[in-house]
Amino acid sequence: MAFGGGYFKTTYASDLALVDTRLRRVALGLLIVALLLLPRFGSSFVLDLVTQTALAAIGALALNLLTGLAGQISLGHAGFIAAGAFTTAVLVEQRLPSPLLALPAAALVGAALGVIVGIPALRLKGLYLALGTLALHHVVLYACGEFQNHWGANTGVSIPPPRLGGWVLKGTIAWYYALTAIAGLVLILSVNLQRSRAGRAWMAIRDREIAAESVGIDVARYKVLAFVWSSALTSVAGALFAYQRAFVSVEAFGFFLAIEYIAMVTIGGLGSALGAVLGAAFVTLLPYGIDAAVAALRVPGGAEYYLFPLKFGAFGLLMAAFLVFEPQGLVGIWRRARNWVVLWPLRYRPLRPAS
Amino acid sequence: MTALLELENLEVVYHHVATAIQGVSLRVPPGSIVALLGTNGAGKTTTLRAISGFLGADDAQIVGGKVVFEETIVTGRPPHELARRGLVLVPERDKVFETLTVQENLRALVPGARDGRETTRPPVTLEQVFHYFPVLAGRRRQLAGYLSGGERQMLALATALLCRPRVLLVDELSLGLAPLVVETLIALVARLRDELGLAVLLVEQNAGAALAVASYGYVMEHGRIVYDGTVDRLLAHEDVREFYLGVGHRAGRKSYTEVKQYQRRRRWF
Amino acid sequence: MTQVLATTVVVASLYALLAAGYVLVYRATRVLNLAQGDMMTLGGYFLFLVVSAVPGQPALSVATAAALSAAAGFAIYRLLMRPMAGHPIFAAVLVTVTLGILLRAAIVLVYTDRIRHPLPLLGLANPPRRLPGGAVVSTFDLLTVAVAAALFLGLFAFLRLSPLGIQMRAAGEKALLAAQRGINFQLLFALSWALAGFAGALAGILYANNVRLDPSLGVLGLKAFAVALVGGLDSLGGVIPGALIVAAVEVLSVRYGDPLLADVSPFLCLLAMLLVRPWGLFGTREELERV
Repeated sequence: MAFGGGYFKTTYASDLALVDTRLRRVALGLLIVALLLLPRFGSSFVLDLVTQTALAAIGALALNLLTGLAGQISLGHAGFIAAGAFTTAVLVEQRLPSPLLALPAAALVGAALGVIVGIPALRLKGLYLALGTLALHHVVLYACGEFQNHWGANTGVSIPPPRLGGWVLKGTIAWYYALTAIAGLVLILSVNLQRSRAGRAWMAIRDREIAAESVGIDVARYKVLAFVWSSALTSVAGALFAYQRAFVSVEAFGFFLAIEYIAMVTIGGLGSALGAVLGAAFVTLLPYGIDAAVAALRVPGGAEYYLFPLKFGAFGLLMAAFLVFEPQGLVGIWRRARNWVVLWPLRYRPLRPAS
Repeated sequence: MTALLELENLEVVYHHVATAIQGVSLRVPPGSIVALLGTNGAGKTTTLRAISGFLGADDAQIVGGKVVFEETIVTGRPPHELARRGLVLVPERDKVFETLTVQENLRALVPGARDGRETTRPPVTLEQVFHYFPVLAGRRRQLAGYLSGGERQMLALATALLCRPRVLLVDELSLGLAPLVVETLIALVARLRDELGLAVLLVEQNAGAALAVASYGYVMEHGRIVYDGTVDRLLAHEDVREFYLGVGHRAGRKSYTEVKQYQRRRRWF
Repeated sequence: MTQVLATTVVVASLYALLAAGYVLVYRATRVLNLAQGDMMTLGGYFLFLVVSAVPGQPALSVATAAALSAAAGFAIYRLLMRPMAGHPIFAAVLVTVTLGILLRAAIVLVYTDRIRHPLPLLGLANPPRRLPGGAVVSTFDLLTVAVAAALFLGLFAFLRLSPLGIQMRAAGEKALLAAQRGINFQLLFALSWALAGFAGALAGILYANNVRLDPSLGVLGLKAFAVALVGGLDSLGGVIPGALIVAAVEVLSVRYGDPLLADVSPFLCLLAMLLVRPWGLFGTREELERV
């Protein structure tokens, strides 16, 4: 069986292929078939879970581009999502609710924001960049809040279901197929970006910026490009968010949302598209997992009021645990498990320190 | 005479994969200066760091051997504990606190506690330090970041003295300093040995300066000790003279290629 | 006019107490403690805890609450931040974010998000006072200014003059060299975190008595780090002008502009500073490259 390493490629086509070995092709095929058939066998609750995961994955993949690949720390992710959602809201207010207009518009607004953030970000690194993006998040939310106060009902703006020609997108199953498909597209886009010249430039900048510059990579251009790609994709995710929830309100886009996305990419594993997806699944499913655990333990009544801080606290605890003990995230665990299987019965042992 | 400091077959690995030093054994008797010679990358600094302690963030492991100080095994203890016991390092770089003044630098330390063995631990006071390093007295209020290289080295030595060391580990005293300054500092180290009874492990690339004051020497290459002996033996040894003192006495080697070929063919035994 | 001035000084004092915590932690461990606001909230709830059990003892309650917060800061360093020593700085900052989440979750779990008022339980009152010039402030407003001034004087004296303070500054600059000089820098770092907890607790206690106590006070902490950045993340002295500037902008924008601007104006100051002079008014430029 070929495991993807030490496997020699003899044509350009095979080198460019996203899925190279037979094992991977079979696995991917099975996954696609399973996703296609899920609505037949799964309850609408399960479908909704997968839909939410897919939507989260889009945002997580976008953040992974910026923070995982290009090494630019951003705490302003929620601001970009809000930008996309509120672009949709603005268009709905202007009686232009079509997604064919809203999605590209959101992408453009996101790209523009990416330039606005990216150019000053050239001067900043690390903590300072994080703070700058956080400050920008608050400014964007302020602007969105102003819009909401003036145009929407005070609690928010209602978004009608998206309409493509005569067909209306609504219902759990339709949204499931739509978002899973879009997430799949974004995944392919993400993986291809990683393999492209831009992706390699980003990784060089992330690892050693001075060395990247000295081999001729235009650091400024690629940094801004990273912000633009990431915020454009995130804004599109925001627009989809608006359509799926059918409601846009500034309260939904607080700092905690940005933390959730950062948790997704760090718990999943920074720098890996698979990590972003795994992390998105983990963070999305965690509250439901806790619900299930609490129900299984059959805790006596009155549980509702402390369910929220419990979920909140469990999220914080798990994120801290991953940061301290498993910096490579779920992908790191997956790779270790896979290596163990592949290398068995041989093991790699690091040198032991003197006691 | 039992050694004050003794290394036995010390082995250090960085990042779990790169062996920096291997099988390193040496002894520092009380009240003497021992030189540790070697070129760049030989492992001298790693040896000193292994003696004086690594921080967790260095990702270095002592995977073999031991460090014995005053007949106690102290391998792998944290740096601040070893400093308080009397094993004080004067590092190669990052040797002073640049945002503190000279005066504050001389106070930014925790000297070891007094104990029964006072004879081997000089009770150095601030006045004594200024007596040895008069230059520092004039620069008390100046930020250490603005001192010249020689002054920084003096400040580093002064703070090390105030820690009340039993063994002083000096890493590359002469690095980046003018020959006259090096001479002064080396003479100062010898004075400290004579007047305070200090034992010193002197790590140096400048073999001539080190062997001028040391009584015993070790030569390191590629992470191992390849030769050791009293200073007289070292000064007489052909390879030491060739590689470290630049005074090889083989006649007839006139061209650069011939010199290089000779150096490559030599093997340490 | 004098009212604007008075309010600015009061707001600045509260921000300064919080920002002192940021700077202390940053100088020691080079981490931005994004949980500082939640540590402030923790201090307020420690007070509520003590005061609910033993009402009517202001000095004892405040001292106990502050001590508990300092101990919490110490424990946070030992248990959470010290294991992050070799990790990249951003990961350590994320850990502080999770700390904030955990603190907030714990508080809500125990006390729910009802608004609390410890003031009557302390047996104190908070009457308004008229200042010369016509401005009106509350008693605790004045107390906040006094406490902030006292804390800063104390910190300056400690860091500049006392041996422990000099060792702390040394350890913050180069931890390894400090260790090689016999300084147990891990202990000093924990102490820095304890001081940050203490300063945060003072802010929390004062605010809880002056305004109210609820779990969402942490947002004040986010605004306060704008102060720390404007002044310079590694400069304790810079906190004072930074606090005054940010407070002035906030008070003026609320007075003459839109009340919603109160939440966003510190971040506008932050952005402006990052664009013009990222290392702040009194910070060292090299810090930019450190991270």
